[in-house]
Amino acid sequence: MRALIAAAIGLAAALALVLTMTAVGAPAGKTSPKPLVTTVPSHP
Amino acid sequence: MRRKSSLVLLAFAVFFAALSPLMRWYAFPRLAKVPANQYQVVVLEAKNATLLTDTSLVPKVVPKLSVIQTLKGNVEESKKVKADTGRDVVVWDSLSYIVGPDGKMVSQVPERYIFDAHSQDPVHTASESVDGDPVHREGIEFKFPFLTEKRDYFYYDAQARTTAPIHYKATQNFRGLKVYYFEQIVPWVKVPLPKTMPGGITPAALGGSVERWYTTKRMFWVDPTTGAPVNGEEVHQEELRFPQTPDTKPVTVFAGDVKMREDYIDSTVELVKSQRQLILLLTSYLPWGFLILGVVLLALSLFLEARGRRPADPAPDDTVRDPDPDPRPIAV
Repeated sequence: MRALIAAAIGLAAALALVLTMTAVGAPAGKTSPKPLVTTVPSHP
Repeated sequence: MRRKSSLVLLAFAVFFAALSPLMRWYAFPRLAKVPANQYQVVVLEAKNATLLTDTSLVPKVVPKLSVIQTLKGNVEESKKVKADTGRDVVVWDSLSYIVGPDGKMVSQVPERYIFDAHSQDPVHTASESVDGDPVHREGIEFKFPFLTEKRDYFYYDAQARTTAPIHYKATQNFRGLKVYYFEQIVPWVKVPLPKTMPGGITPAALGGSVERWYTTKRMFWVDPTTGAPVNGEEVHQEELRFPQTPDTKPVTVFAGDVKMREDYIDSTVELVKSQRQLILLLTSYLPWGFLILGVVLLALSLFLEARGRRPADPAPDDTVRDPDPDPRPIAV
């Protein structure tokens, strides 16, 4: 019985971690202030 | 104490074993996405290209023509589209700016491309456009999906404004990366005249009745992990045709082999090599690492449990043994 409870705790923790990670996601950031380029750049 | 430790190890074993498939099949499709604020410039060149430079309708061979392609993620617009559609989208405002050997503009084609940040399926809004005209894209453009497969994809052609298959042809090694080579051949097709043409050419200056036709062989070398092309090339031909004057021969507007500039290939390969590690972390390194860790922890937990359950050693025997027992059988 105690083994089952330990396994359930591990499973619940894994689910909670993954759900939190995907819910938070990555921040969108801001639009780059750099322009649409109209001259040939000398290097990347 | 051992039993308590084995239960803690069991909990961790299940935690990591469960995290492995969850990371690969639940978290990865939701976490891997094209960033909304992407900004990227690529320069392509066509050497010894044929170009129509003015209204004389006599094309010339120019030593070099440069195409500067900028992709700029519009974060504010992507938030608006997300609010309207409920989808996580990326809005790319792109500009293909073509410069002649004298550094002057030959033509430019702005585009707005809106797509799902995860799957790269096109998302349709009223602001989707090519060269200022509203369009309805199907298929992919510029980039392939994450974990690109060895199959054909539908690719949007911004010149023809139609979608056609781009074919997987081979797996190749490109500067240390395993890449998939894709190829699309667009047969001669009538396409809209661009708003800006070389030498200030306009339909009116050409007598009004003029059509633009185009054909191309499009080639991409794609990193299958990120879906990012690390190299691109187009053997491209455009000409003007005069349907109302059949005696007038078609005039070449542009003909050339457009290739990515070497330094941009190098920088793209370096960028892709670093980005693919993030994808591999979610699809391979972490899932396999967690699975192995889970198995090791489970084995350790079972080992401790087994040791905890083993019966105690027998107590030391204090009875005095007979130093010389009689080996002879007792005769009855």
